[in-house]
Amino acid sequence: MKKLSFRTCSSIALATVTLSFSVLSSAAQTLNVYTYDSFASDWGPGPKIKENFEKQCDCEVNFVALDSSVGILSRVQLEGNSSSADVLLGLDLNLMQAAKKSGLLAEHGVDTSVVNLEGGWSDKVFVPFDHGHFAFIYNSETLANPPKSLAEIVENQDLRVIYQDPRTSTPGLGLLLWMKSVYGDKAASAWSKLASHTVTVTKGWSDAYGLFLKGEADLVLSYTTSPAYHIVAEGETKYQAIEAKEGRYPQVEVAAMMKSAPNKALAERFMSFILTSGFQSTIATGNWMLPVIDLEQPLPDAFASAMKPSTNLVLPADQVAEQRKAWVNEWLNATTE
Amino acid sequence: MFVCIGAFSLMALLRYSDVAEWSSFLSQPYLWRLIRFSLWQALLSSLLSLVIAVPVASCLFHRSFWGRSFLLQLFSVSMVVPSIVAILGIVVVYGRTGWLAQISGIELPLYGLTGILLAHVFFNMPLAVRLLLQAYALIPSGQWRQAYQLGFDRWSAFRFIEWSYLRKALPGAFVLIFMLCFSSFAVVLSLGGGPKSSTLEVAIYQALRFDFDLNKASFLALLQVLICTVIALFVYKLAPVNHQDSSLLAQSRFPIRDSYGAKALDVIAFLCVLVFVLPPFIAIFDPMFSTQFLQTLGSLRLWQAVLVSLKIAFPAAFISLLLGLSFCVLARYCMGKGKLDIWSTKLEQVGNLILMVPGLVIATGLFLWLRDFGLSFSSSYWIVVWVNAVMALPFVLRCMMPCFYQQERRFRHLYSSLGVQAWSRCKIEWPLVRSAVAQAFAFALLLSLGDMGVIALFGSQGMVSLPLYLFQLIGAYRLEEGACVAVVLILLCLGLYVLFSRIVGGKWHAQG
Repeated sequence: MKKLSFRTCSSIALATVTLSFSVLSSAAQTLNVYTYDSFASDWGPGPKIKENFEKQCDCEVNFVALDSSVGILSRVQLEGNSSSADVLLGLDLNLMQAAKKSGLLAEHGVDTSVVNLEGGWSDKVFVPFDHGHFAFIYNSETLANPPKSLAEIVENQDLRVIYQDPRTSTPGLGLLLWMKSVYGDKAASAWSKLASHTVTVTKGWSDAYGLFLKGEADLVLSYTTSPAYHIVAEGETKYQAIEAKEGRYPQVEVAAMMKSAPNKALAERFMSFILTSGFQSTIATGNWMLPVIDLEQPLPDAFASAMKPSTNLVLPADQVAEQRKAWVNEWLNATTE
Repeated sequence: MFVCIGAFSLMALLRYSDVAEWSSFLSQPYLWRLIRFSLWQALLSSLLSLVIAVPVASCLFHRSFWGRSFLLQLFSVSMVVPSIVAILGIVVVYGRTGWLAQISGIELPLYGLTGILLAHVFFNMPLAVRLLLQAYALIPSGQWRQAYQLGFDRWSAFRFIEWSYLRKALPGAFVLIFMLCFSSFAVVLSLGGGPKSSTLEVAIYQALRFDFDLNKASFLALLQVLICTVIALFVYKLAPVNHQDSSLLAQSRFPIRDSYGAKALDVIAFLCVLVFVLPPFIAIFDPMFSTQFLQTLGSLRLWQAVLVSLKIAFPAAFISLLLGLSFCVLARYCMGKGKLDIWSTKLEQVGNLILMVPGLVIATGLFLWLRDFGLSFSSSYWIVVWVNAVMALPFVLRCMMPCFYQQERRFRHLYSSLGVQAWSRCKIEWPLVRSAVAQAFAFALLLSLGDMGVIALFGSQGMVSLPLYLFQLIGAYRLEEGACVAVVLILLCLGLYVLFSRIVGGKWHAQG
């Protein structure tokens, strides 16, 4: 009896192994996409995108989830040319220069004329896949007279503000550039004014947003699309974005393919897939950002305020790459004195 | 030796370094401010943790009350609470709209040194208590008997008996906690109230992740190791020489005369626990009673994450234990062998070295090495296991070393005169060391369960551990669900801890 059961077990195991091998060989092509964790998670856009792309490519999409957009870049920098990544999905505007300099990325060859971003898109290495703007979020039930501009946030000493560290987080760096584009040479004094009513500066977005939701601050740095999440997912309308008279600083998330991509043809197909509705329709309620092409299906009403046009403040990428260290030091000196 | 991994990974980074540039890093005033603040907060945090831990440990040792063993188990899991969960827990209690403010109307100036100290005491005081209780367990019952016969009160018992044992455990505990606080990161940034309070670890993270400046990262990591080594050497120099006595250890207790003063002190010690450790825990456990909790429990992803965590934690803890045991055996072998004798204490300090090298640096360094060896990252599972095992080593050593040393002192001559060797010796020793081994194993298990940094760097598809899952949730606005996952994580840790300290540690462990 015992012997028999052992034999059954082993034959089942053998069958499983052969079966899994045959599955592997039928979908021999695998596309490795490095992305950040919330993108690939069950509630993120990842699973939908995988499904939509697999329908048309006869391949398997394999998401490798890393801890952040910076994590994606440093992972491939560490792996170098031996990396098994085909596509990097989730770098942003401010990482583009550093990523290009690594020399690991190939040109995409995708027609980007459908991109609806202000000023279009002309970069040959990166394809944008979603965008949004940085914004301070407030609770309209507890803050009766919200400020109307970045300058008011800086000046009004009664407001309690939480933002992220520009040394360790993307929104933090976004605020740094936002401040720079609004204040220019006077950024240092603006930072020290803001510092006197800053509750704290956190490591990443989650810590800051968590503290804000627990009622530790009046304002938190996040995205214009944040209120949409609360409306769509929770039916909660009290969280709103502060207006910004001076204009907003954009966040554009981009994808690129690796020079060393093991599966180049597939990577190229995926890159052009990014600018189709099979990818873009998953962005709004999956990644809580805005799509970069015009879709037939309009976005939910919750995104109305995020879609409101405002002046797009953006500093040239090469200037950002060149000056970032100096600006971070300026921020450090202004806030620590 | 496996400890070389720490040194190796640092060396891997150092290959990318350019010493000429280093002097320019040193001339930055912010760096010095950073170091000063790191030292200051770490010193305060570790001293405060220990000062509170001593009376608490004494109170817990002498008194038995309802909920005592639960408290002890809670203590052992405090350090695996993910930092963001602990931060939010502390904010719920002490924050602007927190319980303290609601009940008493007092609003603490939380952000700044206060917040950092509160969080560090929350993390480390329980750890200190556990380590001190280990020291208590080494006090032979003969001494308690004498104390009982002489009618010692608690104070004289403390002065004449407990102190001489605690004195030996304190420096090690201090160094351990100091290093943990020195390299503390998310807590310091979030509760520090701005870049004024940040640590060297922040700069290392920045250099490694944001700037990918391996040169600067290696310099900063080396600087951190250097500072910690100096501190550790200084503390060990001051520390009393570890002369373990060789009296017999029996497992019976003698009550010490009670007094009102002692009672009052115990109450104060207990209040400290009530203030520092319990409220954040209650805040963390709070989501357990929401409807969301049941929904979270129903999700398949959660259980997959639990499985992944367990698959990493068990082998990691096992390897860590093996490493720790080989350290102990080696150290013991060196004991009393003339020239080799000094190595016995040095070995433990070498083990502590791992703690000084930031986890991220170890992981990155290993990554570079493995890349150069041409190893593919399909084996990333084993890398995660290995790095976790190495990172848990200092805790494992802290748990096992004192016990093993004492066994050696007490029985070495007996064993060698009777010719008891190898396996038979193991059999004799097992009942005496099993509680320490169990504690070490449980600590390693818990640490690997709570790990975030290593798996985040090496992670790949399908390797979503419980803490990683938690961060994914929180990173996608799902704060409440994240809080529920945190409860699951802590309950899992508690469960495993109890299980292993019972199975491996045997019944005796349950007492202390």
